[in-house]
Amino acid sequence: MNIIELRGVRKQYHAKTALSGIDMYVRQGECITLFGPNGAGKTTLLKIISGIMSPTEGKVLYNDKPYSESDIKKDAFYLGHRTSLYNALTVMENMDFIRRLFSLDRRWQVEDILRGHGLWERRNDPVNELSQGMKRRLALAKGFIMNPKIFILDEPFTGLDHRWRSAVLAKIKDIKKQGKSVLISTHLVEEGHRLADRVAFLHRGKFLFIKDREEVDTGEIYGLFDSMGEAAR
Amino acid sequence: MKTNRTISILFFLLLVMMPLDFYLIFKVAPTERIMGDVQRIFYLHVSLASGAFLAFTCTFVSSILFLWKKNLIWDSAASASAETGLLFATLVLITGSLWARPIWNVWWTWDPRLLTVLILWFIYVGYFLLRGGIADRFKKAQYSAVIGIIGYIDIPVIRYATKWWKSIHPLLTREGGGLNPVMKNVMFFSLTTFLVLTVFLFLFRFRLARIEERLQKLKKLTED
Amino acid sequence: MKFMGSAIAILRKDILLELRGKESLSLMLFLSLLLLVIFNFALDTGKENVSSLASGILWVVFTFSGILGMGRTSMAERDEDAYLSIVFSPASAESFYIGKVLSNLLFLVIMEIFTLLFFAVLYDFEKIISMLPQLLPGLLLGTLGFSLVGTLFSFLTTASRYGEVLLPFLYLPVVVPIILGGVSSMDIILNAKAGGAGKWIQIMAVFDILYFAVSLLLFRYIIEE
Repeated sequence: MNIIELRGVRKQYHAKTALSGIDMYVRQGECITLFGPNGAGKTTLLKIISGIMSPTEGKVLYNDKPYSESDIKKDAFYLGHRTSLYNALTVMENMDFIRRLFSLDRRWQVEDILRGHGLWERRNDPVNELSQGMKRRLALAKGFIMNPKIFILDEPFTGLDHRWRSAVLAKIKDIKKQGKSVLISTHLVEEGHRLADRVAFLHRGKFLFIKDREEVDTGEIYGLFDSMGEAAR
Repeated sequence: MKTNRTISILFFLLLVMMPLDFYLIFKVAPTERIMGDVQRIFYLHVSLASGAFLAFTCTFVSSILFLWKKNLIWDSAASASAETGLLFATLVLITGSLWARPIWNVWWTWDPRLLTVLILWFIYVGYFLLRGGIADRFKKAQYSAVIGIIGYIDIPVIRYATKWWKSIHPLLTREGGGLNPVMKNVMFFSLTTFLVLTVFLFLFRFRLARIEERLQKLKKLTED
Repeated sequence: MKFMGSAIAILRKDILLELRGKESLSLMLFLSLLLLVIFNFALDTGKENVSSLASGILWVVFTFSGILGMGRTSMAERDEDAYLSIVFSPASAESFYIGKVLSNLLFLVIMEIFTLLFFAVLYDFEKIISMLPQLLPGLLLGTLGFSLVGTLFSFLTTASRYGEVLLPFLYLPVVVPIILGGVSSMDIILNAKAGGAGKWIQIMAVFDILYFAVSLLLFRYIIEE
């Protein structure tokens, strides 16, 4: 079943076309990895999928319903380049705020989640005293209180060292196991490829391809990145 | 290309109406007994104010339609009419000032009506400041529509509040009495002329905005 | 009452944020104090004048400290796109708006209490405190109006590239009826003038109802990108 469907999506900033001719769908429980050089439109695409940005043209449907009639607001967890954390509040207060917004009574679970992300010891520290990597982890940890149906993660591995990268990778695998859909954009070819059910490559606002993982090997993706690095020069 | 034809028709209509209006104002309308020739500004002043009001009403309606239909054509309409309205409001303030000097012996008077126009003028300047600060085409449309609506519903409240405020600090001067029948007819003609001018300017700016938008699209196509 | 629940959660979060970060309220109070000192230089605030100048000075201070504070609280939401965690939650745009209106209202009221105290001390005008019960309706309705418009506009302007700098340009003309009402009603009551403060209370109440209804409808358009 397609939980999200995009038809003929185009996004225009003032003088720049960020996306054009985007058709895609997301099935329940699958993971799609978006690759592409900087400025290819990955962030714009993820924002449009999440519903916080409207396309200039085209349609986005959630279970065949438009944004305003859908539950996507509750069902999606969106993690962008920014952390969506209140920097002056402590780790615990940030988590608590989310818990209250969702009117959940899961104090014990908050503890579990924070332990799982290696943040429990820092629970009473304000967010702006955390390292960049910890902030990213906390930002992702928020998604676990919300228990959404779809995770939309824009570059979830940036700012993480090797150890936490694999921890986050394991977390995302967990999410998949629970039957949730995951959309991620990343530059990490190996990790992104391993996670994905389907792989897409975005270049200058268009899909070069979007196909099953088995049909694409990592070498091809490395090759594309390389060729674009050259083309950029 | 229906707009193009309408614009041409209105243009030729104005070519006749505008000179005729000025002729009526300066040659036909009788000189007012107390205020003298200066009173003739009044015909322009009131007509401009009505034009501005019409234009802002159009901005208000287009803004609602934009938020409802999410079609950028309504945003073009809203900004085109806001521009026309802002131009007219500026002229209202200038003619008001020119009128006040000889009649009331002041350049500016805190008359409730003038005050309302001045505050409106500020609101719509803000409208364009905001538009200048947002790069995303859709976001620009969405946010300025919010201002287009909020600003407009403020008009009656401002009007009422300033009137009440003035009733406590009464004006020393009052406007002259009624208009005689010839004056009324000239007034009516002037009003009509300026409403036609409003529609003309609006359509002109609107078409320009549409062309700009189409140009952007074509640019994109050649890029792709 | 899920609706109010989210609004209260937002209010609670803003209070915590203020306690931890001390970013808007303290700046508002400081600006109030500073403006009162400046007004003392700019105007002749002798014993015989102070009563007639009080309402004007106070409402100008309320207005500008309010703009500063509401701009700051909106920036706190825009920083790190923090508000997105509210957008991606069951909280509706309406409860988001009401939560922010409540927290802005709270900070404005605290700022006004301190401003009145500063005024009473600096201008040797204790009357303003003793007459507070009569002044209260005008103060509350006016402050609510500030918060209703300020919450919407500060969130809107902070999305532009000029940021909070743009706020006064949009906000001030729109709240003119509130400023007129606030200044006039306070002046009438303080100086026992004729002219009926009740009428001004009415005008401010109408303004509040109107802007509450319209902003509630429009707020969701400014939290979408």
